[in-house]
Amino acid sequence: MLPARPRTLSTLDLNFLGTALVLAAIGCMLIYSATYFSDPGLTTLRKQVTWMVIGFALLLIFVMVDYHLFFDIAPILYGIGLALLAYLVIFGRLTANMRGWIHLGGFQFQPSEFTKIFTSLMLAKYFDSNDRAYLDLRSFLRVMAIIGAPVLLILAQPDFGTAASFFPLVAVAMFFGGIRWRVWVVAILVGTLVAGLSWGVLKTYQKERILTYLDSNRDPLGKGYQVTQAKIAIGSGGIHGKGFRNGTQGKLGFIPARHTDFIFAVLGEEWGFIGVLIVLGLYLFLIVQALGFAKHARDRGGTFLVISLVSFFIFHVFINVSMQIGVLPTTGIPLPLLSYGGSSTMMFLIAIGLILNVDMRRFVNE
Amino acid sequence: MRVYRDDQKFLTFRINALLWGIVAVFIFLAGAFWFVQSVQAEKWRNLSEANALREVITPAKRGLILDRTGQKILADNQPAYTLTVDRVVMKPLVKGDPTHRVKLVNFLAQVLGIPPAEVEARFEKQGKLVLFTRPMPVAEDLTMPQVASVQAQAVAFPELNVEPVQRRSYPYGTMAAHMLGFIGEVNEKDLVVHKELRQGDLIGKRGVEMMYDEYLRGADGAQYWEYDSHGRRLAEYRPARKEPVAGDNVWLTIDFDLQRRAEQYFIENEFVGSAVALDPRNGEVLAMVSSPAFNPNVYSKRFTPDVWKTIASNPFKVELNRAIQGLYSPGSVFKAVMAMAGLSDGAIDPSTTFTCGGSAVFFGRRFRCYKREGHGTLAVSNALKVSCDIFFYNTGARLGVDKIAEYAHQLTFGEISKIDLDGEKAGLVPSTRWANEKQHRKWYPSETISVAIGQGPLIVTPLQVANMMASIANGGTVYRPHVVKMIEKVEPNGRVQRLQVASEVLHRIPNLSTPALKVVKAGLWKVVNEEGGTGGNARVTGLNIAGKTGTVQVVAQHGWIKAEGMAFRERDHAWFASYAPGAPDDTPQMVVVVFVEHGGHGGTDAAPLARLLYESRFRAQMQNARLDLNNPDTLRAIKEGDAPIPGQQPKAPPIAPGAGH
Repeated sequence: MLPARPRTLSTLDLNFLGTALVLAAIGCMLIYSATYFSDPGLTTLRKQVTWMVIGFALLLIFVMVDYHLFFDIAPILYGIGLALLAYLVIFGRLTANMRGWIHLGGFQFQPSEFTKIFTSLMLAKYFDSNDRAYLDLRSFLRVMAIIGAPVLLILAQPDFGTAASFFPLVAVAMFFGGIRWRVWVVAILVGTLVAGLSWGVLKTYQKERILTYLDSNRDPLGKGYQVTQAKIAIGSGGIHGKGFRNGTQGKLGFIPARHTDFIFAVLGEEWGFIGVLIVLGLYLFLIVQALGFAKHARDRGGTFLVISLVSFFIFHVFINVSMQIGVLPTTGIPLPLLSYGGSSTMMFLIAIGLILNVDMRRFVNE
Repeated sequence: MRVYRDDQKFLTFRINALLWGIVAVFIFLAGAFWFVQSVQAEKWRNLSEANALREVITPAKRGLILDRTGQKILADNQPAYTLTVDRVVMKPLVKGDPTHRVKLVNFLAQVLGIPPAEVEARFEKQGKLVLFTRPMPVAEDLTMPQVASVQAQAVAFPELNVEPVQRRSYPYGTMAAHMLGFIGEVNEKDLVVHKELRQGDLIGKRGVEMMYDEYLRGADGAQYWEYDSHGRRLAEYRPARKEPVAGDNVWLTIDFDLQRRAEQYFIENEFVGSAVALDPRNGEVLAMVSSPAFNPNVYSKRFTPDVWKTIASNPFKVELNRAIQGLYSPGSVFKAVMAMAGLSDGAIDPSTTFTCGGSAVFFGRRFRCYKREGHGTLAVSNALKVSCDIFFYNTGARLGVDKIAEYAHQLTFGEISKIDLDGEKAGLVPSTRWANEKQHRKWYPSETISVAIGQGPLIVTPLQVANMMASIANGGTVYRPHVVKMIEKVEPNGRVQRLQVASEVLHRIPNLSTPALKVVKAGLWKVVNEEGGTGGNARVTGLNIAGKTGTVQVVAQHGWIKAEGMAFRERDHAWFASYAPGAPDDTPQMVVVVFVEHGGHGGTDAAPLARLLYESRFRAQMQNARLDLNNPDTLRAIKEGDAPIPGQQPKAPPIAPGAGH
């Protein structure tokens, strides 16, 4: 038998890694294009590149160490994540009306992003040992508790946007964990009823506040302005786009949050419909490959880990791209690997690492 | 090891289902983008060109600059009209009609009364300065007929906008101009420092306008207007509106009346020079004059380069704030420092005498006293009174230049005073080290003799002299002089928050002996109040003024010559540095330093202004002192209004409007 390490490395899927890195490179170009005019020192771009380098180092770590070891220490990581979130709720510093950031020296990060990874690991570990075709009520509640704990702590920050981005895990648990039809119906009914009732009970200003929370860009100009400007940018790009650095809407600052949540509008303006198709194609390629990995993973835990992680990609891409042209309302959900932001960039690179990890160790007779 | 999983089929099926679902979603998204970028592309492109929602800046009201009572507004805002051209609107019009631009330029030339070439020049200059998406100003301060003519042509020239703006104005013209400074358009350097500013914004360029710009500026507001593709303003997008925040008001420490009187003195006598009045108890600047002065109203305009050039080329350097930037020899005023240094250091004591015979030899050179026939034998207090040169030559020879420099530095010479104004100069106090390091030469002891009477390489600013007098007056404390007394923040809800500027002690003069101080103060008192003192012109009955005169030779003189009859440029500079009340036991409340360039003599040209200012400041006190409240006649006179009410400041005499412009 061959030694384990060379064999696993030789099975590293370079197509998948390459796709992710191409997306990251496109992200850097777009951030440059969106900020070089207002930030001639390019500090924004420099920061993003730094985070990508750190994220890539983390990615390598999360590829090299067998994911079963991560399952073993998942409760510890999950515990640390919860502890950091709890710390924030109690001692956190208010940044943009939320206590979502931990400040370490000149450096700040959002533990909620990393908790997404830890919760996915915890969830996959749970499903690894639970191989029943359908979840009974007891295991269903246990799964909901695993997801619910960080969500509640994030709601307390209060960051509704990030809390809502844990929703794909719930969907994964219900859809792939297996729930009987009756439970589906009851869950949906109860969910709708509770939401409807609480909406009726809430006062206008509270609703207003929730809507503002959902719109975590906290854009003083309001959603209408933002989406209109994004649509003007994308629409005026046409089929071929205005060309690299030639966008006026993005460059001149008409689009708020143009290097973070609305980076896709910069793409639409400068690279046109062709650029949009290329980037959507790259995302689709990434997701399809990952789902392929999930199918032939070595064990149930691997499958669930990949699905959980890829669900974040699907959710973020769908929500973010939809809101660019007003298909969905504006929320503060960044675009994976493209949007500017340290914690989210690192989180998605770690996710890429773990997905590769599961794929690399798919062979049983190792 | 789990190899076979009985739920494999279940999972594979659901993963495939998800996969096809995602493909469907992506196709839907691609379709949606196709719709926006292909079917609707024309519409969005038009909106992009016209920028459907455009930002219209609502400028913040700049904070006022007030005198120390808050009653007089020294820097105000006045409503005015600015004419702007919106290039976003103009572009399609020029495309549709190639002659449109020429028509517009000719129309503007006719309305503004300037040649078309000048209109073109403004277009070019402003076009570079202002972002394409923002309207660019092409004319300021439109008259009402001009506004009417522009509005009458609104259909033909929709790109023209008349915008109501707040123009900075300085109601008293040249008054306190050097302190107030002026504002102007931001330049590249300003933009690097102030990231929040944009091209075309106004910013303080000099003086208080610059130093306190962050308080005065406030924050601009914005409105968002919807435009159609023809550039017509449709409606405001109200939810996005940002209200402007007015700037804070700045209260100066300036006493309006003192400032006005001091400036008038310079204007009436056609003097070039400077005057500084300080409160020695806290470092507040009560008046600061630099003459001649400029009119800041002229600077704050955008399109008047010619006037600006005229000012800049004035031979008297009107932009120079002589009080803090003018460097002059202190002359005999420096003898106060010499007396302090000599007494504190033990080089002389109050009873040490020297004999003045009109001249004396030091280090092989003959030095003259200004008085040919000599002052006879005198001690330090009388030497100050008559300003005897020979006495201080001797004191200087005993001290040596480095001791003199040490005491001069303690009294803030050779260092900036850290006043809250820009461009302050430090001056120069020579020493052997300075000669070695900066001049690369040896210091000659004979040079020390010149320094002892305030000549030689020693140069100072009028503010430094005032600071020195203040430290002597208050018993050895050096305050940081300041011209701002208070920042007044008016919040949007009408609440007023007041931020007092605290007085700051820079240092206390070390090893200052109280007896020495007393002797110096007595000497300074004699200068003004005893017969034969050089500062008799500053004498005021009922008030003890102490001071020191100074006369600085501009041109090396051989022998004894009278100032009159000399060319202006060759005449001596005149100093008078003083404080009051100045009897040895009083607590002085005001320091006045007057400096007149080429004035001739300190006692005749500079001292009278000091007297005027003290009279103005202490009038009430002096009158009260003369009132005998135990006398029934006086009480009757007060009742009938023939005598002032004790403790109540009589009203300042009205000042003719427009004077001093």
